Amino acid sequence: MSDTILQPAAPLGVGRGLRQFLVRYSLAGIFIIVVLAFSILRPDFTRAENINEILISASISGIMFLGLTWVLAAGEIDISFMEVAALSDMIVAGLVNAGWGWPLAACAGLAAGVAVGLLNGFLVGYMRLPALITTLATGSFARSIAAVIGLGSSVEVADTGIAGRFLNLHFGFLPAVAVLTVLLYAAAWFVQEKLVFGHYLYAMEQNRNAVVEAGIPARRLTVLVYLMSAICAAIAGILLTASLASGQPRIGVSFFIDGLTAVLLGGMVIKLGQPNVLGTLLAVLLLAVLVSGTALIGWSDWERDILKGALLLIGVIIVVKGRAAPATAQMGGAH
Amino acid sequence: MSETILRMTGIGKTFGAVKALDNVDFELQRGEIHALLGTNGAGKSTLVKILSGVYLKDAGEMFIAGEAVTFTGPRDAIENGIAAVQQHPELVPGLSGFENIFLGRETTSPGLFRRFQRDALRQRAEALLTRFPIGIDLAEEIGNMAAVDREVIAVLHALTRDDIKILILDEPTSTLTEREKALLFRLMRTLKNAGITIVYITHRLEEVFEIADRFTIFRGGRNIATMRSDDAQRAGVSIPEMMLGEKTGQLYPDRHAQPGEALIEARGLGQDGAFEGIDLVARRGEILGVFGLVGSGMDELSKALFGVTRPERGDILLGGKKIIFHGPSDALRRGIFLVPGDRRTEGLTLTRDVAFNMTLAKLRRASSLAGFMKLRAERRIAAELAAHVALQPAILQRHAGLFSGGNQQKIVIAKGLYAQADIYIFVEPTVGVDIGARAKLYALMRELSATKAVIVMSSDCDEVYGLADRVMALYKGRIAFESPALETTANRLLTAGIMSAQQAAEGPSAPQVERQPA
Amino acid sequence: MNRALLMRLGAFLAMVVVIGAIFGVLSSQFLSQNNIAAIFRHMSAEGIAGLGLTFVIVVRRFDLSFPGIAAFGAMTTGQLIALGYPLFPSIAGGIAVGIVCGVINGLAISVLKLPDIVTTIAMGSIAYGLSFIYSNGATISDNFMESGILDINDQTIAYLDEPIFFMLVLYLLAWLVLHRSRFGRGFYATGENPRAAMFSGVHVRLYVIAAFILTSATAVWAGILHCAEAGQADPSAGDGFLTPAFASVYLGAALFGYASVPATFAGTLLISMMLNGFTLLSVPYYYSDAIISVVLISAIAVFDPRFAAALQRIVKTRSLAGAPK
Repeated sequence: MSDTILQPAAPLGVGRGLRQFLVRYSLAGIFIIVVLAFSILRPDFTRAENINEILISASISGIMFLGLTWVLAAGEIDISFMEVAALSDMIVAGLVNAGWGWPLAACAGLAAGVAVGLLNGFLVGYMRLPALITTLATGSFARSIAAVIGLGSSVEVADTGIAGRFLNLHFGFLPAVAVLTVLLYAAAWFVQEKLVFGHYLYAMEQNRNAVVEAGIPARRLTVLVYLMSAICAAIAGILLTASLASGQPRIGVSFFIDGLTAVLLGGMVIKLGQPNVLGTLLAVLLLAVLVSGTALIGWSDWERDILKGALLLIGVIIVVKGRAAPATAQMGGAH
Repeated sequence: MSETILRMTGIGKTFGAVKALDNVDFELQRGEIHALLGTNGAGKSTLVKILSGVYLKDAGEMFIAGEAVTFTGPRDAIENGIAAVQQHPELVPGLSGFENIFLGRETTSPGLFRRFQRDALRQRAEALLTRFPIGIDLAEEIGNMAAVDREVIAVLHALTRDDIKILILDEPTSTLTEREKALLFRLMRTLKNAGITIVYITHRLEEVFEIADRFTIFRGGRNIATMRSDDAQRAGVSIPEMMLGEKTGQLYPDRHAQPGEALIEARGLGQDGAFEGIDLVARRGEILGVFGLVGSGMDELSKALFGVTRPERGDILLGGKKIIFHGPSDALRRGIFLVPGDRRTEGLTLTRDVAFNMTLAKLRRASSLAGFMKLRAERRIAAELAAHVALQPAILQRHAGLFSGGNQQKIVIAKGLYAQADIYIFVEPTVGVDIGARAKLYALMRELSATKAVIVMSSDCDEVYGLADRVMALYKGRIAFESPALETTANRLLTAGIMSAQQAAEGPSAPQVERQPA
Repeated sequence: MNRALLMRLGAFLAMVVVIGAIFGVLSSQFLSQNNIAAIFRHMSAEGIAGLGLTFVIVVRRFDLSFPGIAAFGAMTTGQLIALGYPLFPSIAGGIAVGIVCGVINGLAISVLKLPDIVTTIAMGSIAYGLSFIYSNGATISDNFMESGILDINDQTIAYLDEPIFFMLVLYLLAWLVLHRSRFGRGFYATGENPRAAMFSGVHVRLYVIAAFILTSATAVWAGILHCAEAGQADPSAGDGFLTPAFASVYLGAALFGYASVPATFAGTLLISMMLNGFTLLSVPYYYSDAIISVVLISAIAVFDPRFAAALQRIVKTRSLAGAPK
């Protein structure tokens, strides 16, 4: 109890609870509204092929952004993830064309992700270099290597191998890759909510010093989340090679805004502003629906880009206004 | 029952050319509360950091319960039953009390992928509450708790290992109100009864006699004396003298007020949740002292008078005219300067040099009409000011962060002098400043008051009373007392500032508030 | 000038000499007068964005929007030229667009207190999208020859190529403002300790907004120069600004201890020398990005005080493992 007089009137219990409820579940509501709207505007939208496309696209994106969710939840930032996907994408394409089998090529792509993830984790977690500049540099580096592989242009892949077959696999109308994504996210949700890992992540975002002083290996935690972000991106890259039947060195650009938007917009789901895997998944679906829907009603790419930028802005505002503690150092604000 | 739980002999620690600890012996009896005293840099913090494993000793030996130990890091100290609570404990604001208490110790085996069971933690918290009965709702978020409750959580966090023998508290009361301090002391006594030894660093000498069984005084890296509190009290020992090593002499300059015109007035100033009904007048030629503890609204009032915040009620008058400030720059332009309570975060740009800091509040003086800086003139004026305030060492290129607390405060005062204000407001001017530098700061304030109006706001009652010509006490946002200094006593001022304790002690017949007409 | 500064200056000059020597050996053209002019021309265009970014770094923020804003501003100028407006108002129009974007950035970040990194990413994306609005993304080149914009790239003033002339003027102005004016003091005060700056009467929020305005405006100028050289305006005008700009500012800051206008000049010079050298050696553009990234990381790592402290810690714990007592 404070000793001061004239306590400012506390916000009414009912009002606050209602506001929180609205924020928590509004993304789901928006999703439903948007799906309904597009379904009415363009019946094509609900065609099986379209839904399939949406689900596959959302799955690949979802996998790419899974680790990123935790990087942002920990209060850090990673702007190299999309370039890791591009690098992995190019490595797989290049190696498959060189005669390596898909499994081996995929391992190589994965290894690239591990390498970048460890580098990021080391520089940001142990050396405590500023996360933005570091991942800017490592991302730029990864993008360069990706371009080198194709000597500046894309690499066609003749045979999409096992990954391609996986992408074509369906359980009824549900793509297998979507099932995989859901399973991955379910596992991630478990880790996030039921294991101390998630607990420490969110604690770290609010007060890293407290976590360090409590004897928790904060540096190792940081390395882990950067590693996961890169591995998820690498896996997505492998799937991209199969999906596009080619390696595209500049594919990263398309996923950059999407990733940050999905994680930040998803932050308001359930956790009122803290990035979490469930929110990311829902936001990824929403973005995939928006991409498909707006294309169907004739929007140009750039109109969609503006929409995405606006959504990211909204996501930012939500996260900032929803956080218990003031916005932390790495994600933004004075550093 | 006295049994030596800790013995340190011949401890030495050197940082570069500075001998922080010189052949220090120190011992603790089991179950005692032992206070460590000494000015900044006297060595008490260094000793405690060696004890908690943060620093490695250069010389000497350490024995815990008779066994020789060597620490290579904080973990060794914890393994040996030593836990430390920082002065500003780091807690996670969004987590609940019990989550913070068990942070890092949720499971018996370490690892990042262990199960997190909130309910099990809740049960452990209940168990803790039976062991240490404190009236805190552990399910509450830390961010919503009062300062003392957070302090208690930090202490409990330090104690989550069952085998803690020695608890180190570093200035835990610096941000607590009187009532909260009593709660903390109650917890400490409970811990003591449970057999835990407490090492307690403090700057507040009155607490020594209140809570400590024994105390040790450090000076210049040496253990000067260890005494039992009751012995010392009976013998009338002057602790400040022992801390300084010489007769304190006159700390506060003579008063010689020549009150002139009223430069700044407040009438009925009020701000929700901070203060209400504030009337005050500061005149040229005298020092107005305001005594108020943490939570009295003092800090908020100083910020309202400087334009950082706008009060919701009442008026501020400058030279008789009603004024509304449009921010600190407006207040500065009108001739008010604030020396803020926290010089490191509010008063100085620590990463810039002395001249940069000194001229920041009135850059116009150091620049030409077109806006270009006159660097040579700036340096000259800065040198003059540095000499005036006796800055030590007077190296102008040095970054402000590298100076001692007292010298940093001098830089802030120099900044005020450079701004050529008419009204100077000092908030907590000597926190963390050792006694040697304090005398110089007081002299500067007295000198200022000869031609300007000076307001000194502090939670140190002796300081307010010793320095000011007129004194006021702030209690819970209202003026509880007001008087010319010579017509009252420091005790009266202190009583007014902590009135609730008085009321609680004396009930409805507590002395009425005396208010002298301004 | 004190000793520390002299040493840093020496380190910088040494780097110039070393890089010059390496490329001079590898390519006969590197040290030719023509090529040195080309290096400075590169600094004047792509490198000028770093100058504005310096102010943002000084106030301890980040800005990732300027490539998109450069595109939007440059396309605006291109559109105005194509519509027949004279050169000067067209350029002013583009810069004005940049200023407005900078104001929005500044307000969002200093008043609404949104996090700078993701907010500027969003703004940059929106600005980039808006750059398509005039021509649906097609290149604009009508009236370019008549308007005189190409002359900006081609002509000379006082024996210097025009872009280089403008660059020197801009650097001089920036130096005067940031390092020699009382207005400039506020930037460092805002960046180093905004609370103390506020207590000293510095209008912290205005300085943050000003910093973002400067970044956007210089980025648009860089975009316009790019279009002047290419003879057309297209939304890719801002591509490739981001990493070199940050690299210049951080490399300079690493060399001189903190971000400043001279430091950015030094960093930009070194980066431009390297990029130019690689072009001469026919190294494909994608390699150069990688090398700039490595330079950037090395610069921060080597000169970051925490790096040295971390190294010390690692060394200490290792020696402790074998220490007696």
